[in-house]
Amino acid sequence: MSKNEKRLLSLSAVLSAALCVPTAASAMHIMEGYLPPVHCTLWAVICIPFLVAGVMAIRRTLSEQRRALILLAMSGAFIFVISSLKIPSVSGSCSHMTGTGLAAILFNPAITSILGIIVLLFQAILLAHGGLTSLGANTFSMAVAGPLVSWGIWKLGRKMNLNKKVTVFLAAFLGDLFTYCVTSIQLAVANPSAQGGIAASAVKFLGVFAPTQLPLAIIEGILTMLIIIGLETYAKPELRLIGFFREGEAR
Amino acid sequence: MFTSILTALVLYWLFLGQLSTPLLLLFSFSLGLLFLSAHRHTHDSISSVDVLARRSALCRVNPALKVGCSILVLMLCIAAQTTHMPLILTAVLCAVTIGIGRISWHDYLSKFSLPAVFLLLSTLALLWNLVPERGGLLDLPCFGSYLSILPAAQAAARLVLARALGAMSCLFFLSLSTPMPEILAVLRRAHVPSVVIDLAVLIYRYIFLLFETYHQMHSAAQSRLGFSGLRRSLRTTGQLYALLLSNSFRKASACFDAMESRCYEGELRFLTRPKPVLLCHALFAGLLVTGSALMTLLSFF
Repeated sequence: MSKNEKRLLSLSAVLSAALCVPTAASAMHIMEGYLPPVHCTLWAVICIPFLVAGVMAIRRTLSEQRRALILLAMSGAFIFVISSLKIPSVSGSCSHMTGTGLAAILFNPAITSILGIIVLLFQAILLAHGGLTSLGANTFSMAVAGPLVSWGIWKLGRKMNLNKKVTVFLAAFLGDLFTYCVTSIQLAVANPSAQGGIAASAVKFLGVFAPTQLPLAIIEGILTMLIIIGLETYAKPELRLIGFFREGEAR
Repeated sequence: MFTSILTALVLYWLFLGQLSTPLLLLFSFSLGLLFLSAHRHTHDSISSVDVLARRSALCRVNPALKVGCSILVLMLCIAAQTTHMPLILTAVLCAVTIGIGRISWHDYLSKFSLPAVFLLLSTLALLWNLVPERGGLLDLPCFGSYLSILPAAQAAARLVLARALGAMSCLFFLSLSTPMPEILAVLRRAHVPSVVIDLAVLIYRYIFLLFETYHQMHSAAQSRLGFSGLRRSLRTTGQLYALLLSNSFRKASACFDAMESRCYEGELRFLTRPKPVLLCHALFAGLLVTGSALMTLLSFF
């Protein structure tokens, strides 16, 4: 091959690769076997305090009200279902919600971490999204970091008396974006590039996944907003049971 | 289609400069074609994994043995420093899952196609590096510097790809031979907090319920033109999800009443069929684990 031919071949290759990125249905799960053992252990260890807090929070909730177990289980199943269903999207690709932002708004980050790790385990085994060795890393990005941001923004927005819909949108949107950033950083720390180290690698990973993840975050925000509006219309008693409304707001 | 093109391309770049050009082209295209034969993944495939696991001939093997064995081998696989051990492991576990477990090739490959896309995309990011001057196997000018494939990056990407393949085959060995309730029972015996396991068991049961309700609601909405245009489909999806969650909340209440009337006192217990460990199974598991441990150890030197 002459140099020009080679260049032409690679250019067309990159072009086609770029074209397939939007069709790639990658929710931001780090797949099985992608992280080296040290990282797997480290991320798992980082998650432990959050999970312990989660178990304690669930036990406390159940001791007050045993009925909440079924509500929690239903919410967990709901998160699994919406995170494995296709949602309408701009580029014609198939993409999924993470749903953990919604759980963080409805419950709190501690309970969400437990629901999240169960859902991630099911996704790994039943759908081959994510994996067992990367369970720690995925739990951190999707069930701990993202929900924490969502919950923080939701609480802040309520305190500042912002519009409820806007707050829900922002919470879900930013939580999703944060999940995506954390995952990219996790991937970059595991595989730093030869020149430029971790930072350059992080930029690369952010770049590769940006075309799918940015529109997805916006859609996740809109859908979460619609779900909350719908829930307020249809399921007021249950929302009151899980303590969603503020004092004096629920009538 | 895209997966197969991507597979061929990534393989071509991975082994560029290692194999002679015709061999390389043949290799990449044949593997690309292999993926073309697989189904596009469907997301409702959860029940299919469950069905496959229950139909597998390996379902009769003691679940604790399978869980323990695959987790040990999984860890050894990702600790390997060369590509040999993961690749051999992939071959062995593929053979066991398909040959002994009697899962069809077609099902196996279509399960592989979803993680494959993620893997190939990340391999792309590992392969191409932005460097100041040319010197790689392939160089593309890009804003004053070059996007190129360096031999070192190739080697690293090959290792990551091999480990991921090995780990995926471990995961598939487990998920296509052990139904979820049995895995949860093993976890319960491993002293995972019972609240978490109870929750997991209930979530697992409700998933199927919710999927069915969703599909009914989805076709009802679709037959009323609920998904024409992006705006309307977003609205419909949001309303559908909200209704699904509020309906399931209501169902949850009824479920709990049913449980209480059957003497539920904070503990969920299910009958599990005993599956004793057979000598040949134990021997095979021992062989697999020691073999992988030896090869992983060797790969360090």
